[in-house]
Order: sequence, then structure tokens, then C-alpha cells
Amino acid sequence: MTDYAAFRLEVRQFLEASLTPELRRAGKLTTSVFSDFESSMAWQRILHAKGWAAPDWPEEYGGPGWDIHQRYIFQEECKLANAPSIIAMGIQMLGPLLMKYGTEAQKTEIIPRILSGDDVWCQGYSEPGAGSDLASLKTTAERDGDHYRVNGTKIWTSLAQHSNKIFCLVRTNKDVKPQAGISFLLMDIDLPGITIDPIVSLDGQVEQCQVFFEDVEVPVTNLVGDENDGWSVAKSLLEFERGGHNFTIDIKKQLGKVRDQALRIRGRGGRPKLEDPVFRTQLAEAEIEAMALEQTELRIKGSFAAGGNPGALSSLVKAVGTELSQQFNELSVDAVGRAITPYFPEGLDPHFEGETPVPDYATTTMAEYINNRSATIYGGTAEVQRNIIAKQILKL
Amino acid sequence: MNEEQQMLLDSAQRYLRDTYDFNSRRDMANSEQYISTTHWQAFAEMGWLAMPFGEQHGGLGFGMEEVALLSEEFGKHLVLEPMLESTVVAGSVLTYPGVAVESSHIDALVSGEKIYALAHQEPDTTADIDNLSAHAQHVANGLKITGNKAYISAGAVTDYFIVTAKLEGQLALFLVPKDAEGLTVTRYKTYDGRSAANLAFDMELPFSSLMARGDLARSAFMTMRDRAILGASAEALGAMQAALDTTVDYTRQRVQFGKPLSSFQALQHRMANMLIQIELCRSLVGAACRALDAGSEDARRLTLAAKVKVTSTARKVTQEAIQLHGGIATTDEYVVGHYFKRVTALESWVCSREDALVDFIRLTDAA
Repeated sequence: MTDYAAFRLEVRQFLEASLTPELRRAGKLTTSVFSDFESSMAWQRILHAKGWAAPDWPEEYGGPGWDIHQRYIFQEECKLANAPSIIAMGIQMLGPLLMKYGTEAQKTEIIPRILSGDDVWCQGYSEPGAGSDLASLKTTAERDGDHYRVNGTKIWTSLAQHSNKIFCLVRTNKDVKPQAGISFLLMDIDLPGITIDPIVSLDGQVEQCQVFFEDVEVPVTNLVGDENDGWSVAKSLLEFERGGHNFTIDIKKQLGKVRDQALRIRGRGGRPKLEDPVFRTQLAEAEIEAMALEQTELRIKGSFAAGGNPGALSSLVKAVGTELSQQFNELSVDAVGRAITPYFPEGLDPHFEGETPVPDYATTTMAEYINNRSATIYGGTAEVQRNIIAKQILKL
Repeated sequence: MNEEQQMLLDSAQRYLRDTYDFNSRRDMANSEQYISTTHWQAFAEMGWLAMPFGEQHGGLGFGMEEVALLSEEFGKHLVLEPMLESTVVAGSVLTYPGVAVESSHIDALVSGEKIYALAHQEPDTTADIDNLSAHAQHVANGLKITGNKAYISAGAVTDYFIVTAKLEGQLALFLVPKDAEGLTVTRYKTYDGRSAANLAFDMELPFSSLMARGDLARSAFMTMRDRAILGASAEALGAMQAALDTTVDYTRQRVQFGKPLSSFQALQHRMANMLIQIELCRSLVGAACRALDAGSEDARRLTLAAKVKVTSTARKVTQEAIQLHGGIATTDEYVVGHYFKRVTALESWVCSREDALVDFIRLTDAA
């Protein structure tokens, strides 16, 4: 029987000793799922040296061999200590996928470099014409001897500008039903014919890119799974993307932040905003929703631990978790009021030292509110999650 | 709509359609200039900046109904120039009967030659009028004012600030030039592409800078607040209507699963709900403007109702507009997210939704 209290203490002590003030600052200034890039990578290297870079991975691939409760504790302590986030595309997505579908060569060559951070991967799924209807994707890979020739474009490719590798869904057969002609392909991002266009987001920052492929030659050995079997490979990855996340941890953090903000703002009569009955009621109602989500996540965790598969319940959690997180963004906006208005991107750089027109407690509020609107769009929209629930649970 | 209103609307729609396309607006928002002097001059020439003032001030004598018509068009085009801040809000204070201000200021405001803005909000507070830290006291040759103001809309382009402060326990309104000795103005951009400023001051001003105090200051402030609320509500109405129109157009064109998004009934219902809520807002804003212009007893209660309803609706409608678009709406180069950012900034401008709600309850229970 694992002593979870002792484990929590061990994690806490490690974080206390390893998180530099700069890294904590980067964690604190995070306004989306991604922290400052350099800080994330620096933190990953520190975790890797300790053997904790991939909490969910099995020991044979360099994971710490933790059970589901330990993983939860680790995620929670990292969040509380303001650790920068670890970029998900390699460790959360591609790694587990290669463990399941990769060739021996792919496993030995690629997986260790994901873990160490020597390779930075981005995900090429969506296209300008293929969003919710992902299977309609048009980027083609034509077989030419021992190479594929890739043409087309991918969009909403997070961090492509910082990545040296990309995994893509490409069309290898046009003559069958859409899902049946898709393959999963790995590429170096500096191959001739690949260009990257950064996309300025609504908060003025660049996190997303559009990637263009023009006669890009990719070795056939870079295929993951069988040719034309990419759809089932991809679907399992979407489950990693949806299921690997504990929304409750993030939401509890948001709740704490809103309370702190509402204590710092003086409302009517000079009393803290938190004592405002209108605001207080709304916050309590959101907190109750968060408790319902937490108990649902615990149910799912219990089912995992008992060897079960939560299936479409991960869609329920994705839908509720993202929408509730957005609700807390709104409460933050309500709490700080006018302090959301200054646009001061310099203040979001962890290395910035200077005067800012925004108080500390509101530095990230508006950027988080804006960026988190995409939480119900990426990784399967809120509507797609409901389609899955309707189809798989309600059998409609 | 009467003939004059129709002419105003036509000229606004024509000018904004011809000169205020989204890309040039975006370039201006990203520039260091904050606002276009060309547009501002054009607004003045078309009489928009003189609209709500009486003829004694060289104005056109229009009411809140006409201001709302124009504001709604400004909302649709995400206009950056501070018509609401200077003309409607500052103008309301400066021309309020009994407020002491040299007529040259009113001339400069009405002609658009100078820009005026309210500096009321303080750091770490809501905009509660009874909760001011800034204070003034009499000194040998005038008044000494000390305090901080924050998030002053249009602050980076403002020539004169209307500063609220406590004077001997009473609300007082001061007119302060941007270059007053002892005043530090920190200028910056805002998320909605506009400008703002924070003020820090410890300054001695002549007696003439005191425009009003006590009951007069309070009633000038509250009248200004009503007008600010309705101007902002009308602008938000325009922004959310444009967000819906953009969404309807986009879903007609965007094909997924072999058909346009607009053909999915689940999405049709959501757009229908957006329309329903917008129309309810339109009714309230219109009724409040007419009541205010007519000096009706229920004008303030209607105004507060409009504020509460419009604020929650604009938030919901613009969020839905982003969601129904998908990824494209999260980019800076696409218009719909900018409506979302603008209505978010309007939520707390001059009066928060919660303050409006509390005041609404007070008025309702007092009746």
C-alpha cells in the first residue's frame, strides 16, 4: 500500500528545491495551456533528470511507475507550486501512441528524445477545410518508391514555430470513404518544402501556426501503424488528448485565484468584493459545479484503477471541464472589473522587470479569458463531445 | 424613426461603410497613434460631436435616442475614436446646469478640438461613487488634490480629465489638464484596440478647476452615468448584432460533413436564441433612451435594467459567435473576436453590471 501522504511530501520537497523563481514566475504568467516555451523546456529537463518528466508512462519507457493516485497528486502539487506546464504533444500524445502503434525502431529512436526534450513535436491534424469534420482532410501523401510526397496544409498547429518535428494525418487513398484513406506520418519540420506561418491570436500572441507542405519527401519508414489505418491511430490519440487531463486541478486553482482577486478589490462601502452577496452567490454556485465535476473525475479514476474503461465519459468530462473553466474565467473578469482592460504583453514575459499598468492579481486575467474560449474548440469541440455522448452513450 | 434620425443613420452608415473597414481599423489599433485624427475631424464636420448639446452650446439638440443610433453603428464597426468618452460622458458633465466651466472648454469639446474624459475609477476598487480615495483640500491659492485613478478610457489621447475626488467629505468634480504640474499620466493600449491611462497626482490647482461639489456634483455624475450606460449599451448592441450577422454569414459558407453549418438544426437554434436575446436588449435600450429624453420618472430604472440585460447578453452572444465559428474566430485577423473584446471592455465602463443591479433593486424597493 502506497503511503500517499509521504509521496505528496516527497513531491512537494522536490518542487520546493527545483522550481527556480523564474520557473515559478513563468508558471504564474501562463495564460493558455502553454507556458513560456523556454521555461517549459527547462522544467522538462529538470523533471527528466529526476525521472518524472512523463508521470503517465510505464517504467519500461522511462516513466516513474506511479499509480493513478500518485499521478493526480503530482499534477496537483505542480499546479499549486506554479510549475510551468509541460508541452503535451510529445509526452501526452505521441509518446503513448508510439508505445501502442510504433515499430521497434520508432520506439527506440523517438520515445527517449520525447522524454528528454531533445525533440519538440507539434500536431498536424486540422486543416482550413477540416475542423470538426476532421476526416475530410485533404493533405495528400503519394507513394513514390521508398518515400511519400506530401502536399497540402495544416492549421492550428500549436508551437510549430518552436518544434523540430511534426506528426500529421495525411490522405493516402482518395477512392475510399474518408476515414479509410488516412495515414499517420512523422516528419522533420526542416524538410525542404515545409513552411510555417505564425498566426496572431486574439490576445496578440503567437501560439498557433499554419504549416504548408509542397512536394515534401518523407521516408515510408516514418509511417505509424499501417497505411490507410491512420484514423484509428488518430482516434486513440484524441482519447489521450481528452482523457489525460484532470480538469478539477486547474479549476480548483482558478477558484483560489478568483477568491484572492475578490479579496483585493474593494467594492461598495469599501468592503472586499468577495463579501458582495451577488458575486459571492455566483462564486458559490460555480464552486458547487466544480465539486460535481471533481466527484465525476474521481468516479472515472476509480473505474480506471479497477481496470475499466470510462469510454465516452471522457467526452462528458471534456465538455464540462472546459465550460466550467470558462465560467471561472468570467468570474475572474467580474472580480477584477476594469483591471482587465490594459493590454501590456511585456508583463506576461517571465523575464520582464519593470513597471506595468496592471496590478499583479489581474496580469493574466483578460488573456486567460480570451485564450480559454478555444478550450471548447480544440481537441474536439463542445458540440463534437455531445455528438459522441449522443452516439456512444445514448445510442442515438 | 423620424426624418432627422433617418438622415443621421444614413450618413453614419455611409461614412463607416466607405471608410471604416476592418483592416484599416486593425492597422490603426496596432499603431502608436491610438485614434485617427482624420476620422475625428470628419466626425466633427458631420456634426456627430455636437449632437447631444443644446443650441446655446453650438450643438444640434439631439437626445439619447440619436446618440444610441450612432453608437450602435460605432459598435458594428468597432470605432476607436472616443465619441462616448468625450462627447457623451464628459460633455454631459461639462454642460450640466450649474457646473462651473469656462465656455471655451465647451467650445473645444463640441468642436472636437480637444478631447475630454472622465477619470473616476480608482485602482483595486469598483467604480462605487461613495468609495473614493482621491481627496482634495483647500490651500492658500486654490486646492490640493491627491490620489490615483486607473483604466481611464481614451486616457492616452485625453487633453482634459474630469477628476472625481472627496472635498470635505463631499463628492467634487475637477477639470484637470493633462500637463498639470504634479500629475503623472501613464498611457497604454487596451485589449479592445483602444487606449487608456492611469493617473497619479499630488497637485495644486486653481479654484477655477473645481466644477461642482456636493449635491450638484452628485446629480451631474448620476446624469452622466445614465448617458454613459445607454451609450455603451447601444454600442454593445451594435457589436453583438454584427457578431450575429457575421456568424450567420460564416455558417452559410462553412461546409463540414458535406453541408453548410447553417443547415444543422442545433446550430440554427443557437443563432435563433442569439437573435431573440438581441431583440430583447434592443427593446430595453430603446425604451430607456426615450424615457431619458422625455425626462420620465422611470428613466433611471429602465437605464439600469438595460445595463444589466445588455451586459449579460453581449457576453453570451459574442461567446457564442466565437464558438459557432470555431478556430478562425480566435485569430486577430478575423473580426468576430474583436466584438467579443469590445463588449468585454464595455461591461465595466463607468458602471459595472453588479452596481447597476444593486441600484436597480434599491430603486425598485424605494418605489
